[in-house]
Amino acid sequence: MLPQNMGNETNIKLPISFILFSFLALVLSQILLLLNGQIMAGGSFRIPAIWSSAHLIVLGWALMAAMGAMYQLVPVAFLTKIWNEKFGFIQFFVTAVGIATFAGTLYSSPQHALIPGVLTLLGILMFLFQMFMTLKTQAIPTILTAFVGSALVCLFITIFMGITLVYCLKTGVGAEYYQSIFKAHLLMGVTGWFTLLIFGFSYKMVPMFSLSHGFPMVQAKYVYGFYVSGLVITFVSIFINNSVLLKAGFLLLLIGFSVFSWHISIIIKKRLKKKLDKPFTFALVAIGFGNVLHLAAFILLWTHKISTFAGPLIYTYLFLWIVLSIVSYLYKIVPFLWWTYKYSKEIGKNKVPSLKEMMNEKIVTPLFFLFIIAVLIVFCALALKTAILFNIGQFILSIVFIVITACILRVLKK
Amino acid sequence: MMNLHEKVLEALKSVYDPELNINVVDLGLIYNVEVTESADVTITMTLTTPGCPLHDSITSGVRYSVEGIEETNKVEVNLVWVPAWSPEKMTPEGLKLLGR
Repeated sequence: MLPQNMGNETNIKLPISFILFSFLALVLSQILLLLNGQIMAGGSFRIPAIWSSAHLIVLGWALMAAMGAMYQLVPVAFLTKIWNEKFGFIQFFVTAVGIATFAGTLYSSPQHALIPGVLTLLGILMFLFQMFMTLKTQAIPTILTAFVGSALVCLFITIFMGITLVYCLKTGVGAEYYQSIFKAHLLMGVTGWFTLLIFGFSYKMVPMFSLSHGFPMVQAKYVYGFYVSGLVITFVSIFINNSVLLKAGFLLLLIGFSVFSWHISIIIKKRLKKKLDKPFTFALVAIGFGNVLHLAAFILLWTHKISTFAGPLIYTYLFLWIVLSIVSYLYKIVPFLWWTYKYSKEIGKNKVPSLKEMMNEKIVTPLFFLFIIAVLIVFCALALKTAILFNIGQFILSIVFIVITACILRVLKK
Repeated sequence: MMNLHEKVLEALKSVYDPELNINVVDLGLIYNVEVTESADVTITMTLTTPGCPLHDSITSGVRYSVEGIEETNKVEVNLVWVPAWSPEKMTPEGLKLLGR
Protein backbone atom coordinates (compact mmCIF):
# COMPACT_ATOMS: atom_id res chain seq x y z
CA MET A 1 0.00 0.00 0.00
CA LEU A 2 1.38 3.39 -0.95
CA PRO A 3 0.59 6.16 1.52
CA GLN A 4 -0.38 9.41 -0.16
CA ASN A 5 -1.46 12.61 1.44
CA MET A 6 -2.77 14.99 -1.13
CA GLY A 7 -4.71 17.78 0.52
CA ASN A 8 -5.50 20.08 -2.39
CA GLU A 9 -8.57 21.88 -1.11
CA THR A 10 -8.98 25.55 -2.03
CA ASN A 11 -9.60 28.37 0.45
CA ILE A 12 -13.40 28.18 0.49
CA LYS A 13 -13.76 32.00 0.43
CA LEU A 14 -12.54 32.05 -3.17
CA PRO A 15 -15.24 29.87 -4.80
CA ILE A 16 -17.89 31.32 -2.46
CA SER A 17 -17.04 34.91 -3.61
CA PHE A 18 -17.61 33.91 -7.24
CA ILE A 19 -20.85 32.08 -6.46
CA LEU A 20 -22.32 34.92 -4.37
CA PHE A 21 -21.54 37.42 -7.12
CA SER A 22 -23.11 35.08 -9.66
CA PHE A 23 -26.44 35.01 -7.82
CA LEU A 24 -26.54 38.79 -7.60
CA ALA A 25 -26.01 38.97 -11.37
CA LEU A 26 -28.72 36.34 -11.90
CA VAL A 27 -31.33 38.34 -10.01
CA LEU A 28 -30.35 41.56 -11.86
CA SER A 29 -30.51 39.85 -15.26
CA GLN A 30 -34.03 38.65 -14.50
CA ILE A 31 -35.20 42.11 -13.51
CA LEU A 32 -33.84 43.48 -16.80
CA LEU A 33 -35.61 40.77 -18.80
CA LEU A 34 -38.89 41.45 -17.02
CA LEU A 35 -38.63 45.17 -17.74
CA ASN A 36 -37.93 44.59 -21.46
CA GLY A 37 -40.12 41.58 -22.13
CA GLN A 38 -42.34 43.16 -24.76
CA ILE A 39 -39.47 44.14 -27.06
CA MET A 40 -37.92 40.68 -26.81
CA ALA A 41 -41.22 38.91 -27.42
CA GLY A 42 -41.54 40.96 -30.62
CA GLY A 43 -38.48 39.14 -31.97
CA SER A 44 -35.90 41.86 -31.21
CA PHE A 45 -33.02 40.31 -29.32
CA ARG A 46 -30.33 42.79 -30.29
CA ILE A 47 -31.28 45.67 -28.06
CA PRO A 48 -29.03 47.13 -25.30
CA ALA A 49 -31.19 45.83 -22.43
CA ILE A 50 -31.13 42.28 -23.82
CA TRP A 51 -27.37 42.47 -24.46
CA SER A 52 -26.94 43.59 -20.88
CA SER A 53 -29.26 40.91 -19.47
CA ALA A 54 -27.77 38.16 -21.67
CA HIS A 55 -24.23 39.05 -20.57
CA LEU A 56 -25.31 39.30 -16.93
CA ILE A 57 -26.73 35.81 -17.07
CA VAL A 58 -23.99 34.29 -19.25
CA LEU A 59 -20.95 36.13 -17.84
CA GLY A 60 -22.20 37.41 -14.49
CA TRP A 61 -24.01 34.29 -13.44
CA ALA A 62 -23.05 31.21 -15.47
CA LEU A 63 -19.39 32.11 -16.08
CA MET A 64 -18.76 33.39 -12.54
CA ALA A 65 -20.52 30.34 -11.04
CA ALA A 66 -18.52 28.06 -13.36
CA MET A 67 -15.28 29.81 -12.35
CA GLY A 68 -16.17 29.47 -8.67
CA ALA A 69 -17.03 25.81 -9.13
CA MET A 70 -13.78 25.28 -11.04
CA TYR A 71 -11.71 26.82 -8.26
CA GLN A 72 -13.24 24.15 -6.06
CA LEU A 73 -13.44 21.22 -8.45
CA VAL A 74 -10.19 21.47 -10.43
CA PRO A 75 -7.96 20.71 -7.41
CA VAL A 76 -10.03 17.67 -6.46
CA ALA A 77 -10.70 16.40 -9.97
CA PHE A 78 -7.14 16.85 -11.19
CA LEU A 79 -5.42 16.21 -7.85
CA THR A 80 -3.43 19.41 -7.98
CA LYS A 81 -3.46 22.64 -5.97
CA ILE A 82 -4.70 25.92 -7.45
CA TRP A 83 -1.56 27.62 -8.76
CA ASN A 84 -1.96 30.88 -6.80
CA GLU A 85 -4.94 31.61 -4.55
CA LYS A 86 -4.00 35.28 -4.03
CA PHE A 87 -3.99 35.70 -7.79
CA GLY A 88 -7.43 34.04 -7.71
CA PHE A 89 -8.83 36.74 -5.40
CA ILE A 90 -7.37 39.49 -7.61
CA GLN A 91 -8.87 37.73 -10.63
CA PHE A 92 -12.25 37.67 -8.89
CA PHE A 93 -12.08 41.40 -8.22
CA VAL A 94 -11.03 42.31 -11.79
CA THR A 95 -13.65 40.04 -13.40
CA ALA A 96 -16.45 41.16 -11.06
CA VAL A 97 -15.75 44.86 -11.72
CA GLY A 98 -15.34 44.13 -15.44
CA ILE A 99 -18.64 42.27 -15.79
CA ALA A 100 -20.60 44.75 -13.65
CA THR A 101 -19.37 47.76 -15.67
CA PHE A 102 -19.65 45.86 -18.95
CA ALA A 103 -23.31 44.98 -18.32
CA GLY A 104 -23.91 48.56 -17.17
CA THR A 105 -22.43 50.18 -20.27
CA LEU A 106 -24.12 47.65 -22.59
CA TYR A 107 -27.40 48.85 -21.11
CA SER A 108 -26.73 52.58 -21.01
CA SER A 109 -24.22 53.25 -23.83
CA PRO A 110 -23.07 50.15 -25.77
CA GLN A 111 -20.57 52.24 -27.80
CA HIS A 112 -18.59 52.71 -24.57
CA ALA A 113 -18.52 49.01 -23.71
CA LEU A 114 -15.02 48.47 -25.06
CA ILE A 115 -13.03 49.40 -21.92
CA PRO A 116 -15.24 47.43 -19.48
CA GLY A 117 -15.15 44.62 -22.06
CA VAL A 118 -11.35 44.71 -22.02
CA LEU A 119 -11.43 44.62 -18.20
CA THR A 120 -13.73 41.57 -18.35
CA LEU A 121 -11.38 40.05 -20.91
CA LEU A 122 -8.44 40.70 -18.59
CA GLY A 123 -10.29 38.96 -15.72
CA ILE A 124 -11.07 35.97 -17.92
CA LEU A 125 -7.52 35.84 -19.27
CA MET A 126 -6.26 35.86 -15.68
CA PHE A 127 -8.58 32.92 -14.99
CA LEU A 128 -7.33 31.08 -18.08
CA PHE A 129 -3.74 31.70 -16.99
CA GLN A 130 -4.53 30.46 -13.48
CA MET A 131 -6.11 27.29 -14.87
CA PHE A 132 -3.29 26.76 -17.37
CA MET A 133 -0.69 27.00 -14.59
CA THR A 134 -2.79 24.68 -12.39
CA LEU A 135 -3.47 22.03 -15.05
CA LYS A 136 0.20 22.13 -16.09
CA THR A 137 1.17 20.61 -12.75
CA GLN A 138 -1.21 17.66 -13.14
CA ALA A 139 0.84 14.47 -12.99
CA ILE A 140 -1.03 12.44 -15.62
CA PRO A 141 -3.47 14.23 -17.96
CA THR A 142 -6.78 12.40 -18.41
CA ILE A 143 -9.77 12.70 -20.73
CA LEU A 144 -11.16 15.21 -18.20
CA THR A 145 -8.11 17.39 -18.90
CA ALA A 146 -8.99 17.28 -22.61
CA PHE A 147 -12.61 18.32 -21.97
CA VAL A 148 -11.79 21.09 -19.49
CA GLY A 149 -8.73 22.27 -21.46
CA SER A 150 -10.76 22.48 -24.70
CA ALA A 151 -13.58 24.26 -22.84
CA LEU A 152 -11.04 26.87 -21.70
CA VAL A 153 -9.79 27.28 -25.29
CA CYS A 154 -13.41 27.80 -26.41
CA LEU A 155 -13.86 30.37 -23.65
CA PHE A 156 -10.83 32.27 -24.94
CA ILE A 157 -12.19 32.22 -28.52
CA THR A 158 -15.65 33.34 -27.27
CA ILE A 159 -14.20 36.30 -25.43
CA PHE A 160 -11.92 37.18 -28.33
CA MET A 161 -14.92 37.10 -30.71
CA GLY A 162 -16.98 39.14 -28.27
CA ILE A 163 -14.35 41.86 -28.02
CA THR A 164 -14.03 41.84 -31.82
CA LEU A 165 -17.80 42.39 -32.04
CA VAL A 166 -17.62 45.39 -29.71
CA TYR A 167 -14.66 46.75 -31.75
CA CYS A 168 -16.64 46.30 -35.02
CA LEU A 169 -19.60 48.07 -33.46
CA LYS A 170 -17.48 50.98 -32.30
CA THR A 171 -15.36 51.46 -35.43
CA GLY A 172 -17.41 49.92 -38.23
CA VAL A 173 -14.36 47.89 -39.28
CA GLY A 174 -15.11 44.35 -40.57
CA ALA A 175 -18.86 44.96 -40.84
CA GLU A 176 -19.16 42.23 -43.50
CA TYR A 177 -17.94 39.63 -41.00
CA TYR A 178 -20.11 40.85 -38.14
CA GLN A 179 -22.79 38.12 -38.59
CA SER A 180 -20.21 35.35 -38.83
CA ILE A 181 -18.31 36.59 -35.77
CA PHE A 182 -21.58 36.85 -33.83
CA LYS A 183 -22.58 33.27 -34.72
CA ALA A 184 -19.09 31.97 -33.89
CA HIS A 185 -19.22 33.87 -30.58
CA LEU A 186 -22.48 32.08 -29.69
CA LEU A 187 -21.25 28.69 -30.89
CA MET A 188 -18.00 28.81 -28.94
CA GLY A 189 -19.60 30.27 -25.83
CA VAL A 190 -22.69 28.11 -25.58
CA THR A 191 -21.78 24.77 -27.15
CA GLY A 192 -18.01 25.09 -26.79
CA TRP A 193 -17.16 26.47 -23.37
CA PHE A 194 -20.22 25.51 -21.32
CA THR A 195 -21.06 22.15 -22.90
CA LEU A 196 -17.49 20.86 -22.88
CA LEU A 197 -17.06 22.05 -19.30
CA ILE A 198 -20.27 20.32 -18.15
CA PHE A 199 -19.25 17.16 -20.06
CA GLY A 200 -15.84 17.14 -18.36
CA PHE A 201 -17.03 17.72 -14.82
CA SER A 202 -20.01 15.38 -15.29
CA TYR A 203 -17.49 12.57 -15.66
CA LYS A 204 -16.30 13.45 -12.15
CA MET A 205 -19.58 14.42 -10.51
CA VAL A 206 -21.98 11.79 -11.92
CA PRO A 207 -20.00 8.81 -10.52
CA MET A 208 -19.39 10.76 -7.29
CA PHE A 209 -23.03 11.66 -6.59
CA SER A 210 -24.36 8.26 -7.65
CA LEU A 211 -21.45 6.29 -6.20
CA SER A 212 -20.99 4.45 -9.48
CA HIS A 213 -18.26 1.91 -9.77
CA GLY A 214 -16.76 -0.31 -12.46
CA PHE A 215 -18.09 1.60 -15.47
CA PRO A 216 -16.22 1.91 -18.78
CA MET A 217 -14.66 5.25 -19.78
CA VAL A 218 -13.82 4.44 -23.40
CA GLN A 219 -16.96 6.23 -24.66
CA ALA A 220 -15.65 9.56 -23.33
CA LYS A 221 -12.99 9.59 -26.07
CA TYR A 222 -15.71 9.28 -28.73
CA VAL A 223 -17.77 12.01 -27.05
CA TYR A 224 -14.73 14.28 -27.15
CA GLY A 225 -13.79 13.35 -30.74
CA PHE A 226 -17.27 13.81 -32.20
CA TYR A 227 -18.17 16.93 -30.25
CA VAL A 228 -14.91 18.81 -30.73
CA SER A 229 -14.75 17.99 -34.45
CA GLY A 230 -18.40 19.14 -34.69
CA LEU A 231 -17.41 22.43 -33.09
CA VAL A 232 -14.43 22.94 -35.41
CA ILE A 233 -16.41 22.09 -38.57
CA THR A 234 -19.36 24.29 -37.56
CA PHE A 235 -16.97 27.13 -36.72
CA VAL A 236 -15.26 26.89 -40.13
CA SER A 237 -18.60 26.57 -41.99
CA ILE A 238 -19.83 29.81 -40.40
CA PHE A 239 -16.90 31.76 -41.86
CA ILE A 240 -16.80 30.13 -45.30
CA ASN A 241 -20.63 30.08 -45.48
CA ASN A 242 -20.85 26.43 -46.50
CA SER A 243 -24.22 24.81 -45.75
CA VAL A 244 -23.06 21.21 -46.31
CA LEU A 245 -20.23 21.68 -43.85
CA LEU A 246 -22.65 23.31 -41.39
CA LYS A 247 -24.94 20.26 -41.58
CA ALA A 248 -21.95 17.96 -41.05
CA GLY A 249 -20.91 20.04 -38.04
CA PHE A 250 -24.40 19.91 -36.50
CA LEU A 251 -24.53 16.14 -37.12
CA LEU A 252 -21.21 15.60 -35.35
CA LEU A 253 -22.36 17.74 -32.41
CA LEU A 254 -25.55 15.68 -32.21
CA ILE A 255 -23.61 12.38 -32.32
CA GLY A 256 -21.17 13.64 -29.68
CA PHE A 257 -23.97 14.70 -27.36
CA SER A 258 -25.89 11.44 -27.92
CA VAL A 259 -22.84 9.32 -27.10
CA PHE A 260 -22.41 11.43 -23.94
CA SER A 261 -26.06 10.80 -22.90
CA TRP A 262 -25.65 7.09 -23.56
CA HIS A 263 -22.38 6.99 -21.61
CA ILE A 264 -23.91 8.78 -18.62
CA SER A 265 -26.81 6.30 -18.65
CA ILE A 266 -24.25 3.45 -18.49
CA ILE A 267 -22.53 5.14 -15.50
CA ILE A 268 -25.89 5.63 -13.76
CA LYS A 269 -26.80 1.96 -14.26
CA LYS A 270 -23.58 1.04 -12.42
CA ARG A 271 -24.51 3.12 -9.38
CA LEU A 272 -24.55 1.87 -5.80
CA LYS A 273 -26.75 4.67 -4.50
CA LYS A 274 -30.21 3.46 -5.36
CA LYS A 275 -32.08 6.69 -4.63
CA LEU A 276 -30.44 9.70 -6.23
CA ASP A 277 -30.60 13.19 -4.72
CA LYS A 278 -33.24 15.39 -6.32
CA PRO A 279 -30.98 18.26 -7.54
CA PHE A 280 -28.64 15.70 -9.10
CA THR A 281 -31.59 14.00 -10.83
CA PHE A 282 -32.37 17.32 -12.52
CA ALA A 283 -28.75 17.57 -13.71
CA LEU A 284 -29.44 14.26 -15.48
CA VAL A 285 -32.75 15.60 -16.85
CA ALA A 286 -30.77 18.56 -18.28
CA ILE A 287 -28.66 16.11 -20.31
CA GLY A 288 -31.88 14.77 -21.86
CA PHE A 289 -32.96 18.30 -22.78
CA GLY A 290 -29.54 19.08 -24.26
CA ASN A 291 -29.75 15.98 -26.42
CA VAL A 292 -33.29 16.73 -27.63
CA LEU A 293 -32.28 20.31 -28.46
CA HIS A 294 -29.24 19.15 -30.47
CA LEU A 295 -31.58 16.84 -32.40
CA ALA A 296 -34.08 19.68 -32.91
CA ALA A 297 -31.31 22.00 -34.16
CA PHE A 298 -30.15 19.36 -36.62
CA ILE A 299 -33.68 18.70 -37.93
CA LEU A 300 -34.43 22.43 -38.24
CA LEU A 301 -31.19 22.95 -40.15
CA TRP A 302 -32.08 20.19 -42.60
CA THR A 303 -35.61 21.53 -43.06
CA HIS A 304 -34.24 25.08 -43.57
CA LYS A 305 -36.17 26.42 -40.57
CA ILE A 306 -33.20 27.07 -38.33
CA SER A 307 -33.17 30.84 -38.90
CA THR A 308 -36.81 31.11 -37.74
CA PHE A 309 -36.20 29.16 -34.56
CA ALA A 310 -32.55 30.06 -33.84
CA GLY A 311 -33.38 32.59 -31.09
CA PRO A 312 -35.89 30.40 -29.17
CA LEU A 313 -33.67 27.35 -29.67
CA ILE A 314 -30.52 29.01 -28.28
CA TYR A 315 -32.57 30.40 -25.39
CA THR A 316 -33.95 26.95 -24.54
CA TYR A 317 -30.52 25.29 -24.92
CA LEU A 318 -29.02 27.91 -22.62
CA PHE A 319 -31.72 27.43 -19.96
CA LEU A 320 -32.75 23.76 -20.11
CA TRP A 321 -29.26 22.37 -20.64
CA ILE A 322 -26.68 24.83 -19.30
CA VAL A 323 -28.59 26.76 -16.62
CA LEU A 324 -30.44 23.66 -15.37
CA SER A 325 -27.14 21.74 -15.14
CA ILE A 326 -25.37 24.58 -13.32
CA VAL A 327 -28.25 25.23 -10.89
CA SER A 328 -28.57 21.50 -10.15
CA TYR A 329 -24.88 21.16 -9.43
CA LEU A 330 -24.81 24.39 -7.40
CA TYR A 331 -27.45 22.80 -5.17
CA LYS A 332 -24.78 20.22 -4.41
CA ILE A 333 -21.66 22.42 -4.52
CA VAL A 334 -22.81 25.33 -2.29
CA PRO A 335 -23.81 23.10 0.69
CA PHE A 336 -20.51 21.29 0.25
CA LEU A 337 -18.50 24.55 0.30
CA TRP A 338 -20.34 25.85 3.34
CA TRP A 339 -20.15 22.51 5.10
CA THR A 340 -16.37 22.44 4.52
CA TYR A 341 -16.06 26.01 5.82
CA LYS A 342 -18.14 25.39 8.94
CA TYR A 343 -17.81 21.75 9.84
CA SER A 344 -14.60 20.30 8.38
CA LYS A 345 -12.80 21.02 11.66
CA GLU A 346 -15.68 19.53 13.67
CA ILE A 347 -15.95 16.15 11.96
CA GLY A 348 -14.71 13.40 14.26
CA LYS A 349 -15.05 15.72 17.29
CA ASN A 350 -18.75 16.64 17.32
CA LYS A 351 -21.88 15.55 15.49
CA VAL A 352 -22.03 17.34 12.14
CA PRO A 353 -24.92 17.57 9.65
CA SER A 354 -24.88 15.65 6.39
CA LEU A 355 -24.80 17.63 3.15
CA LYS A 356 -28.42 16.65 2.52
CA GLU A 357 -29.42 18.30 5.80
CA MET A 358 -27.85 21.58 4.65
CA MET A 359 -30.44 22.09 1.91
CA ASN A 360 -34.22 21.97 1.74
CA GLU A 361 -34.67 19.18 -0.78
CA LYS A 362 -38.46 19.13 -0.65
CA ILE A 363 -38.69 22.35 -2.63
CA VAL A 364 -36.39 21.12 -5.41
CA THR A 365 -38.87 19.05 -7.44
CA PRO A 366 -41.73 21.63 -7.61
CA LEU A 367 -39.26 24.48 -8.10
CA PHE A 368 -37.33 22.82 -10.91
CA PHE A 369 -40.53 21.64 -12.59
CA LEU A 370 -41.78 25.20 -12.51
CA PHE A 371 -38.46 26.31 -13.98
CA ILE A 372 -38.83 23.86 -16.88
CA ILE A 373 -42.45 24.89 -17.50
CA ALA A 374 -41.51 28.60 -17.43
CA VAL A 375 -38.69 28.07 -19.96
CA LEU A 376 -41.06 26.14 -22.24
CA ILE A 377 -43.61 28.96 -21.98
CA VAL A 378 -40.92 31.50 -22.93
CA PHE A 379 -39.83 29.22 -25.79
CA CYS A 380 -43.41 29.16 -27.14
CA ALA A 381 -43.70 32.92 -26.65
CA LEU A 382 -40.49 33.54 -28.59
CA ALA A 383 -41.47 31.09 -31.35
CA LEU A 384 -44.99 32.51 -31.67
CA LYS A 385 -43.90 36.09 -30.89
CA THR A 386 -46.54 36.50 -28.19
CA ALA A 387 -45.73 39.23 -25.69
CA ILE A 388 -48.28 38.19 -23.06
CA LEU A 389 -47.07 34.58 -23.04
CA PHE A 390 -43.49 35.83 -22.78
CA ASN A 391 -44.33 38.02 -19.81
CA ILE A 392 -46.09 35.13 -18.02
CA GLY A 393 -43.21 32.72 -18.63
CA GLN A 394 -40.52 35.26 -17.78
CA PHE A 395 -42.38 36.34 -14.64
CA ILE A 396 -42.56 32.73 -13.39
CA LEU A 397 -38.92 32.21 -14.33
CA SER A 398 -37.75 35.32 -12.50
CA ILE A 399 -39.67 34.27 -9.38
CA VAL A 400 -38.19 30.76 -9.63
CA PHE A 401 -34.67 32.21 -9.95
CA ILE A 402 -35.20 34.46 -6.95
CA VAL A 403 -36.51 31.50 -4.88
CA ILE A 404 -33.57 29.34 -6.04
CA THR A 405 -31.16 32.13 -5.05
CA ALA A 406 -32.85 32.46 -1.64
CA CYS A 407 -32.78 28.67 -1.10
CA ILE A 408 -29.10 28.42 -1.99
CA LEU A 409 -28.17 31.47 0.09
CA ARG A 410 -30.12 30.06 3.06
CA VAL A 411 -27.50 27.33 3.22
CA LEU A 412 -25.10 30.00 4.49
CA LYS A 413 -27.22 30.26 7.64
CA LYS A 414 -26.84 26.57 8.49
CA MET B 1 -14.33 -3.99 28.52
CA MET B 2 -13.18 -2.80 25.08
CA ASN B 3 -9.49 -2.83 24.22
CA LEU B 4 -7.92 0.16 22.45
CA HIS B 5 -8.27 -1.42 19.02
CA GLU B 6 -12.01 -1.83 19.55
CA LYS B 7 -12.29 1.69 20.94
CA VAL B 8 -10.57 3.06 17.82
CA LEU B 9 -13.00 1.20 15.55
CA GLU B 10 -15.91 2.48 17.60
CA ALA B 11 -14.61 6.05 17.37
CA LEU B 12 -14.17 5.70 13.60
CA LYS B 13 -17.84 4.78 13.34
CA SER B 14 -18.64 8.33 14.43
CA VAL B 15 -16.94 9.75 11.32
CA TYR B 16 -19.48 10.07 8.53
CA ASP B 17 -19.00 10.78 4.85
CA PRO B 18 -21.31 13.83 4.77
CA GLU B 19 -22.34 13.22 1.15
CA LEU B 20 -23.43 9.60 1.66
CA ASN B 21 -24.19 9.87 5.37
CA ILE B 22 -22.48 6.53 6.03
CA ASN B 23 -19.65 6.10 8.51
CA VAL B 24 -16.15 5.39 7.22
CA VAL B 25 -16.12 1.86 8.68
CA ASP B 26 -19.37 0.73 7.04
CA LEU B 27 -18.29 2.47 3.85
CA GLY B 28 -15.23 0.20 3.81
CA LEU B 29 -12.73 3.05 3.82
CA ILE B 30 -10.69 1.72 6.75
CA TYR B 31 -8.17 -0.85 5.54
CA ASN B 32 -6.21 -1.40 8.71
CA VAL B 33 -5.92 -0.20 12.30
CA GLU B 34 -2.60 -0.83 14.01
CA VAL B 35 -2.16 -0.23 17.73
CA THR B 36 1.30 -0.51 19.29
CA GLU B 37 2.07 -1.33 22.93
CA SER B 38 2.83 2.35 23.55
CA ALA B 39 -0.70 3.20 22.30
CA ASP B 40 0.46 4.70 19.00
CA VAL B 41 -2.29 4.25 16.43
CA THR B 42 -1.76 3.99 12.67
CA ILE B 43 -4.83 3.96 10.47
CA THR B 44 -4.56 2.93 6.86
CA MET B 45 -7.51 4.11 4.88
CA THR B 46 -8.75 5.09 1.44
CA LEU B 47 -11.53 7.18 -0.11
CA THR B 48 -14.15 6.12 -2.65
CA THR B 49 -12.33 8.09 -5.37
CA PRO B 50 -8.90 9.79 -5.53
CA GLY B 51 -10.63 13.06 -6.48
CA CYS B 52 -12.92 13.09 -3.46
CA PRO B 53 -13.68 16.74 -2.58
CA LEU B 54 -14.05 15.72 1.07
CA HIS B 55 -10.51 14.37 1.13
CA ASP B 56 -9.09 16.64 3.84
CA SER B 57 -12.29 16.72 5.91
CA ILE B 58 -12.66 12.94 6.15
CA THR B 59 -9.00 12.22 6.87
CA SER B 60 -8.90 14.98 9.51
CA GLY B 61 -12.14 13.62 11.00
CA VAL B 62 -10.60 10.16 11.27
CA ARG B 63 -7.58 11.65 13.07
CA TYR B 64 -9.67 13.82 15.43
CA SER B 65 -11.97 10.93 16.37
CA VAL B 66 -9.06 8.70 17.39
CA GLU B 67 -7.16 11.51 19.10
CA GLY B 68 -10.32 11.97 21.19
CA ILE B 69 -9.71 8.60 22.88
CA GLU B 70 -7.84 9.29 26.13
CA GLU B 71 -5.47 6.29 25.99
CA THR B 72 -4.07 7.02 22.53
CA ASN B 73 -0.60 8.40 22.13
CA LYS B 74 0.40 9.31 18.57
CA VAL B 75 -2.14 9.00 15.77
CA GLU B 76 -1.10 8.59 12.15
CA VAL B 77 -3.43 8.41 9.17
CA ASN B 78 -2.08 6.87 5.97
CA LEU B 79 -4.21 7.50 2.94
CA VAL B 80 -3.67 4.90 0.23
CA TRP B 81 -5.13 4.37 -3.23
CA VAL B 82 -3.79 0.86 -3.72
CA PRO B 83 -5.79 -1.30 -3.42
CA ALA B 84 -8.55 0.95 -4.75
CA TRP B 85 -11.85 1.13 -2.90
CA SER B 86 -14.61 -1.08 -4.29
CA PRO B 87 -18.22 -1.75 -3.18
CA GLU B 88 -17.16 -5.20 -1.91
CA LYS B 89 -15.32 -3.43 0.91
CA MET B 90 -18.59 -2.07 2.35
CA THR B 91 -20.33 -3.75 5.25
CA PRO B 92 -23.90 -5.10 4.81
CA GLU B 93 -25.08 -2.13 6.96
CA GLY B 94 -23.39 0.31 4.59
CA LEU B 95 -24.95 -1.31 1.53
CA LYS B 96 -28.34 -1.26 3.21
CA LEU B 97 -28.03 2.49 3.75
CA LEU B 98 -27.50 2.91 0.01
CA GLY B 99 -30.74 1.03 -0.63
CA ARG B 100 -28.96 -2.18 -1.67
